[in-house]
Amino acid sequence: MRTRTLLGSILASIGVLVVGWQAGTTVLGTTTVATPSSSTGGATTGGSTTGGSTTSGGSSTSSPAATPTSAASQTATYTGTEVNTRFGSVQVQVTVTDGTISDVTALKLTDHDGKSVQISNRAAPVLREEVLAAQSASVSNVSGATYTTQAYLTSVQSALDQAGL
Amino acid sequence: MRTTFESMGTVVSLEAPAVSHPLVRRVFETAEARFSLFRPDSELSRVAAGELPLTRAGSQLRDTYARAVLWRERTDGAFTPNRPDGVIDLNGIVKAEAVEAAGAALTAAGWHHWSINAGGDILVADAGHDGAPHLIALADPADASATLCAITLAGPRRAVATSGSAQRGDHIWRGGSRTPAAFVQVSVVADDIVTADVLATAIVASGRDTLDAVCDRWDVDVFTVDRDGAMLATPGLRAALAA
Amino acid sequence: MTTTTARPARATVHVDHRRRYARRARIADLIVVAFWASGAAAIALFLASGGAGQFTSVGEAITSLGIVTGLVGTDYVLVMLVLAARIPLIDRTIGHDRAMAVHRKLGKPALYLLLAHGVLLLVGYGISSGIDPIAEIGSMLALPDLPLAFIALGLLITVVVTSLVAVKRKFSYEGWHLVHLLSYVAVAFALPHQFSNGGVLAEGTAQRVYWIALTVLAFGSILTFRFIEPVVVSLRHRIRVAGVVPVAPGVVSIHLSGRGLRALDARGGQFFQWRFWTGSTWWHSHPISLSAMPTDSSARITVRDLGAGSAAISAVPTGTVVSIEGPYGLFSDAARTAPKMAIMAAGIGVTPVRAMLEHASFAPGEATVLLRAGSEDETYLWDEVRAIAQAKGADCYVMVGERARRGATWMTQHDRERGVSLTSVFPDLLDSDVYVCGPSGWLDAVEADVKRAGLPSHQLHSERFDW
Repeated sequence: MRTRTLLGSILASIGVLVVGWQAGTTVLGTTTVATPSSSTGGATTGGSTTGGSTTSGGSSTSSPAATPTSAASQTATYTGTEVNTRFGSVQVQVTVTDGTISDVTALKLTDHDGKSVQISNRAAPVLREEVLAAQSASVSNVSGATYTTQAYLTSVQSALDQAGL
Repeated sequence: MRTTFESMGTVVSLEAPAVSHPLVRRVFETAEARFSLFRPDSELSRVAAGELPLTRAGSQLRDTYARAVLWRERTDGAFTPNRPDGVIDLNGIVKAEAVEAAGAALTAAGWHHWSINAGGDILVADAGHDGAPHLIALADPADASATLCAITLAGPRRAVATSGSAQRGDHIWRGGSRTPAAFVQVSVVADDIVTADVLATAIVASGRDTLDAVCDRWDVDVFTVDRDGAMLATPGLRAALAA
Repeated sequence: MTTTTARPARATVHVDHRRRYARRARIADLIVVAFWASGAAAIALFLASGGAGQFTSVGEAITSLGIVTGLVGTDYVLVMLVLAARIPLIDRTIGHDRAMAVHRKLGKPALYLLLAHGVLLLVGYGISSGIDPIAEIGSMLALPDLPLAFIALGLLITVVVTSLVAVKRKFSYEGWHLVHLLSYVAVAFALPHQFSNGGVLAEGTAQRVYWIALTVLAFGSILTFRFIEPVVVSLRHRIRVAGVVPVAPGVVSIHLSGRGLRALDARGGQFFQWRFWTGSTWWHSHPISLSAMPTDSSARITVRDLGAGSAAISAVPTGTVVSIEGPYGLFSDAARTAPKMAIMAAGIGVTPVRAMLEHASFAPGEATVLLRAGSEDETYLWDEVRAIAQAKGADCYVMVGERARRGATWMTQHDRERGVSLTSVFPDLLDSDVYVCGPSGWLDAVEADVKRAGLPSHQLHSERFDW
């Protein structure tokens, strides 16, 4: 290759690598925190992590949102940055109580299709007592399975309607 | 001012200024004339009987059918406008569409404090208009004269729809399946009533898998009751339980 | 050797050719730089995703290396596709033959990188998750699109192995080419796993956009210039065989009819890939130079029936449909870099020279032509060349006879003994662009002599005819 081409290629390549490096340092952030040791790959298929190591080892920055619940116990919540694993993006939230991790929530997990999924909106069991305790005297309407005209007459909705009319 | 009237085989409860009542009634009457399968002269009955080809039906009917088919795709078949015998039954979507149209008419006419409850499908005016959040009670599937709890409808959440396998389950076509439904009642809280209604129907028809899929893919809140009385709720709905 | 014309003296325009050549060279350099930079860009994609920080453990470091080799290896494969696409810009600046030489050189490194990609990732992930690499393969295959990627690698291995010189010899050209086309399939099969398995090319990243653009560029180039354009050109110009005329023992001129042929913008000396649509010849495309500049409605090529393929096309019936790709080649006056032209043609090599002489613009005295033949049987088209040379003021020498046995073996023994040399035929040799066309053996001898005379390599333009 001619000298000029060789030099040009080397210079251009160095330039490109530097740009990439720079872009990468902003992603890596300035502080690093030890990654949570709990498994993050709960919902992923394929090679799963064993305790103590993560699949990609990307570092995460901490943005502490400490919410001390009481004077006796200190609880803080940390949200990690999104990390790229071979299965996709993973993001976890860690709750630390009195210096130990008390809860880990996966905020973002890939499902088996490799697509990122917000799992934080799944329906979870709720205590009957908690539900029944939520009452109010000022409800405006009742939502139930569609009632026939006949069934309406003995429904709570009809009582509300009569009170309002 | 509250009024009630019969439409589409159920009772519509309307809370709105008295002067707006005829407007809402007209919306429901038009829908019923077009879509009711209980009236042999409705446009949909004529299509079902083969008298009128679907391609020559009015655009509103075809649009509604297209919308129902789109929802079938989106819910992977859990919601479907086709009865097992192939007849088009748009009951699952027509009621909600009527509520939606009535609500749009009310808003367009300038009214900002209203609620419509069509047989359990509830749509409220945009709560952001200096109104206090609406409180909606969820029915008890085991006892028609009781309610389970009350939830707050606030912010973008304006619609609640509940579907049950106990009462009028005849419009929930579960693909000919004879296995009992996993949930006896499903309530969906959403930003619009058609989404809430369709998804509630879909979850009752298909069960747990559809529930998870719905929670993953749509921005809605869900409350379910199964045949043992055990309940599931999304975090948003838990937070909406009246304090 | 006999002389045919006198040489009137006249000033020539030097600057034009040098400047045009400088510009061509600059563009060619930029293209080369772009190719190398694309490899660096592949690494930069990894760095931009925070890759520099992903070397904290042995397993992680190996995995990261696996990712980088995959990126660079695929980049090289895409570059190879672009080189093989016969993009006009590349043909005009770097030249198609040089592009293909680079294409061939990239093959093994690209494959090694991709093999390393597979092995390193298996080992790296295995270390990180405590599974042995063999079992790791099983879990890898469960991931979406990875089975396809494994198949892609297998196809690529097949393509490269069959392209090794030792193996390629065992195939017919068409058979080898068919296997080679599997490389398209390999690239296509490997695409899904690049985009679905997260990491550097995850959804929403700029890296993904760049990679998609690169893939689109590579496949788009192939699709446009190897498939669409030839089809469009062939349909538009409706080329048919008008007649086949023998011009010498074993040599025929094929006359072609068509329309708007001047719009093909062929420069004298360029060639096309010809495909004659008869039952026995449609599957073979031949690179053949025009042996005369086309008119709007007619064109001519001259072929020697050496080899089964060429023998078949010498016998095509009138009216045969012809499809073409091209024009290609830097063997024309567009490649000029110097004030003078020194042209040497042997045997069938006279064909592009005949067209080039007709088309090139040069002042009287600027061009000198040497026609070489082993015997009188190989002096076809010479009368046309001499007529053009006379009309345009170019010197024309002829040399007929067996090759010398020693020394500059491109000459005849007789002329060697007489003291003929390159500089005696072409006194301004070092100020000339030397165009040489003929059989490989003879051409090699000429090139050796030309280099001995100290001609800069950019002034030498060779077209090898191996049949």
